[in-house]
Amino acid sequence: MFRRIYIHNYRCLENFDLPISGKSSTLLIGKNGSGKSTLGKALQLFQSMARGTNRVGELLKIEDFSQGRIDAPIRFEIEVSIGGVDYAYKLALEMPAGFKEMRVFEETLVQNGIAIYERNRAQVSLNKTFTNNEAKFLVDWHLVALPLIQEQSEKDPLSIFKGWLARMLILAPIPSLITGDSKGDSLFPNLEVTNFGEWFSGLLAHSPAAYSHVDKYIRQIMPDFRDIKNPVVGKDSRSLTVQFYQDQATISLPFMGLSDGEKCFFICALLMAANDAYGPVFCFWDEPDNYLPLSEVGHFVMQLRSSFSAGGQLLVTSHNSEAIPQFSNENILLLYRRSHLEPTQVRAVADIAFHGNLVDALIRDDLEP
Amino acid sequence: MSVNKLRPHIFVLPEDDANHALANGFRLNPNLSQRSIQVLPSAGGWIKVQSQFQKEHIFPMERNQNRHTVLLLDFDEMANRRDEVAKVVPQHLSERVFILGVWSEPEDLKKAGLGTLESVGSKLALECQNETRVTWEHVLLRHNNIELDRMASKLKHILFPVL
Repeated sequence: MFRRIYIHNYRCLENFDLPISGKSSTLLIGKNGSGKSTLGKALQLFQSMARGTNRVGELLKIEDFSQGRIDAPIRFEIEVSIGGVDYAYKLALEMPAGFKEMRVFEETLVQNGIAIYERNRAQVSLNKTFTNNEAKFLVDWHLVALPLIQEQSEKDPLSIFKGWLARMLILAPIPSLITGDSKGDSLFPNLEVTNFGEWFSGLLAHSPAAYSHVDKYIRQIMPDFRDIKNPVVGKDSRSLTVQFYQDQATISLPFMGLSDGEKCFFICALLMAANDAYGPVFCFWDEPDNYLPLSEVGHFVMQLRSSFSAGGQLLVTSHNSEAIPQFSNENILLLYRRSHLEPTQVRAVADIAFHGNLVDALIRDDLEP
Repeated sequence: MSVNKLRPHIFVLPEDDANHALANGFRLNPNLSQRSIQVLPSAGGWIKVQSQFQKEHIFPMERNQNRHTVLLLDFDEMANRRDEVAKVVPQHLSERVFILGVWSEPEDLKKAGLGTLESVGSKLALECQNETRVTWEHVLLRHNNIELDRMASKLKHILFPVL
């Protein structure tokens, strides 16, 4: 669970601290351009690093500096609690004059207050508490050290921390691009969830019992759902098919043939099953209510919240008047920018004075930090 | 579908966002049948709960015997608040309408140290599931006891179906 997310000098996020510590689910609201999706992009950076991307140039561009301010470093700082153990990771990047690509300026990973490794530009120091020997070595300053340092075992704190970050789910599905076809399996759905088939295969390979979660949830929404299969359709490739029945008749549809909203229900089902199977996970879902009818939005969001209340952490964004009331003022954060020249401000809705209910206040544009 | 209208279900009509937060916390219970309960938008005051029920809910309830309605409002320390609100509930629907709320207002639950509104709602749901009454016996909530007895017999199997 995230205890702290701090971002500085990255796009519209300056000295930005996201207060989600201790909250199993949080809603981000705010106008277009207020920074909601930018936060998702920042979280994606951590996910990408943990999944192996190490080249700074593949993670960040010069345009990512706030207002083009390249004379100050970009900073990312996160604190997470995993199984009761606290981890703190800091990464600062700078753009010295004459450079074409940012370089790492500072990088540290700390467990329960003790450094696992510290880095100052190219110089990395591994703490002997966590390795057999203290070690010092140089890393190309255009590379992030986190994905590069060799893990000793699965119990290695570095491995636990990286594994947790890698399993974070950052989702902004585009259902029309989700075919259900797959080559191989994965526990890591991509942003648009276009690798849904791989995720389905990977989840069931990891935990076959996950299917019962998927089945149970989908039957509540589609009473005529029978099953979902993933048959081999060619060399090394599979394609999901969904079977429905009514009375004595059955019909089998390719996953691609489902509607956009129906695909979102399957994503929700897999997400909840994943949180149960290899969680607790952190999930950022940008506008989960997209593609859903109004009558379904409330149940969909509350089902997600309920699922994460038992473990894991959910962060969602929404503009939807039916999704917003599924959260309470105490777990809704408003992101706000006065103009494109000013940074994002964040404020708990519970700390903002307004009249009437929240959705009405948003419609009236009466909510300001 | 939203709630399954062909099966017993519950609509919750909250007075305001604070009552809505209590209901949200209640719905976070992982054993709750999510699709049997729907929390409607906040009405904006107990009188509006009353008038909204009268205008929008009586006729649909008459047509659908599966529907139950919980009116969730502030009692504002008024001993006759339940009777006052119940005046608009027709006799033939009274078995399916429940009037609940905090003795003063939900914010006082936080001031009393019971936690956030959602966490209080979650505790109340757990106690309903387990048929215990610890939080429900709090001075701000215990005036609901008679209504809770009715809910235990009429609504518990809808909210927490035995699988």
